[in-house]
Amino acid sequence: MKNLLSAIIPVIVVLVLFLASETFFIVNENEQCVVTQFGRFVRKIQKPGFHYKTPFVQSVIYYDNRLLDHDVQPTEVVTKDKRALIIDNFAKWKIIDPEQFYKRAKTEAIAKDRLRDIIYSELRQDFGAHDLSQIVTTQRASLMKQVTERSNAKVQELKMGVEIVDVRIKRADLPPENQMAVFSRMREERKRIARQFRSEGKEEAQKIRAKTDKEKVILLAEAYKNEQKIRGEGDAKSIKITAEAFGQDEEFYAFIRSLEAYRKALVNKGSMVLSPDSPFLKYLQKP
Amino acid sequence: MGWEDRPRRPKGGSGGFDKMPEFDLSKFKPPTIKPGHFLIIIPVIVGLWLLTGLYKVDLQEQGVVLVFGKHTANTVPGLHWNIPPPFGKVIKVRTEEIKRIEIGFRTEASRMSRQSLTKESIMLTEGANMIDIHMSVQYRVKDPAQFLFGVADSFRALRDRGLYETVKNVAEASLREVVGKNNIDDILTVGKSQIQQDIHDQMQKVLNLYDAGLTVNLVQLQDVRPPKEVRESFRDVNNSEEDKNRLIREAEGYSNSVIPEARGKAAQIIAKAEAYREQRISLSKGDANRFLAQLFEYRKAPGITRKRLYIETMEEVFSKMDKIIIDKKAMNSILPLLPLGGLLPSGVK
Repeated sequence: MKNLLSAIIPVIVVLVLFLASETFFIVNENEQCVVTQFGRFVRKIQKPGFHYKTPFVQSVIYYDNRLLDHDVQPTEVVTKDKRALIIDNFAKWKIIDPEQFYKRAKTEAIAKDRLRDIIYSELRQDFGAHDLSQIVTTQRASLMKQVTERSNAKVQELKMGVEIVDVRIKRADLPPENQMAVFSRMREERKRIARQFRSEGKEEAQKIRAKTDKEKVILLAEAYKNEQKIRGEGDAKSIKITAEAFGQDEEFYAFIRSLEAYRKALVNKGSMVLSPDSPFLKYLQKP
Repeated sequence: MGWEDRPRRPKGGSGGFDKMPEFDLSKFKPPTIKPGHFLIIIPVIVGLWLLTGLYKVDLQEQGVVLVFGKHTANTVPGLHWNIPPPFGKVIKVRTEEIKRIEIGFRTEASRMSRQSLTKESIMLTEGANMIDIHMSVQYRVKDPAQFLFGVADSFRALRDRGLYETVKNVAEASLREVVGKNNIDDILTVGKSQIQQDIHDQMQKVLNLYDAGLTVNLVQLQDVRPPKEVRESFRDVNNSEEDKNRLIREAEGYSNSVIPEARGKAAQIIAKAEAYREQRISLSKGDANRFLAQLFEYRKAPGITRKRLYIETMEEVFSKMDKIIIDKKAMNSILPLLPLGGLLPSGVK
């Protein structure tokens, strides 16, 4: 009897544990779930914690509670100004209602297929209505917001229990075959800029040289002006001084200055024809 | 340590392996478990199970504690206890670890080389120009619970990669969004730090929108270049800028040599003129003084002085010259015929 009990207790323990695992279940913070009975929806659980169900007849299907990723292959779209753009986008979405999700999508893969179609058509429509420069430069953020909102509205109509949180353009680039045209335009533009720089350099240099030459001429002319003024001062003073002095006896000045001039003028060897009447020879004739 | 105290081999003296064959299997009987034993066995099992709830959080980590699936606490480095599985769970997150993402290139750790990825690195700027940018982003987990429960990554299994795909996508989107708003010349020259800041802010904004629990530490633009197809043209623009500066410098050099030279010349002219003025004044004063001195003495004896001065001068003058004295009456008739040439010193015509 005692031995029988010893054998039964482990079996009971195992059975109890098995029953417990079929009844109780834990929903983690990152999960949500639906409880189904033979494939029919019974209830949904969106709070983490300890839960129970009818064992064996009911089963639990877990879904992710977190923001989910949806990254698709790049696609080519044509903008309003008829330029091709390769758009690589990704979307972030989440399951907000596991009941609807279970009923209409069942798995993430199926949901993603739907999302891809919706986002793709919205993207095409919005990008086709804008110019390349608007998409790349001015309205990128508002376009992404618009696509997000419209895609989400469409998804809500499908009642999949899914919300599109964000559609984001990862890349919006030109296809390789169109890049060459851009490159050659860029090269032309650079050539123009380079030419402009060089011309500007010449212009500046010429301005500087011309200004320099001008300044030089002005400087020298100014110097000439002052030179003449100063020399004139010297001359004037000289005239004044000598006139005052010599004016005291003009006749004597003429006499003495002439003598000096003779001495200077007649120093070199030369011939002079003299008349015996010369005052110098006065005593040569009559002693 | 408890199990070591128990005698493992009650009969074996030395307990070596060579004694093993002596262990007689036939003597081994399955233990007879009496119901009363469960009063001991079950608490022991429960106790051992509770012991497995001990866990260690390493220095760079934080532990995110789940009890019945609910997030109850974050634990700091050290030894902790939580109710063990299946009721409880602890997920350790390396919160101090800096994670890195590369856009436009990949560093190959083994070869220390860089592999460029033009598909990622070539992008459109404002005005539909293209630019080649290599960027790296450093980030880390700020809120480990948010990090675990906020966003599911494509690499779900690799938690240590830290939402790699999501961050990379956000980084690429932000980079292109910011670059698309900026002019190529600004990006290449002055705008780099502002662009880094804008990308950083944009990334953080999007990651916050996702409740990713991540913080962006650093956005660095590593290489910002024109695409290689047009790099030569850009270089020529740089050269032309150099040319421009060179031409200007040369002209300035010309100016710097010519102007001082002219100034020097002007100063020289003025100095010469001033010298002339002073010279003239001094000479005139000298002449005047000399004359006044002569006049002063002359007035004392005008007649004799006059004669003396005249004769002395004439003496000096005539002593150096050839003289021909011709009578006044002969003057008119002879003079025209006189062979003046012969009388003149040779060489003078």
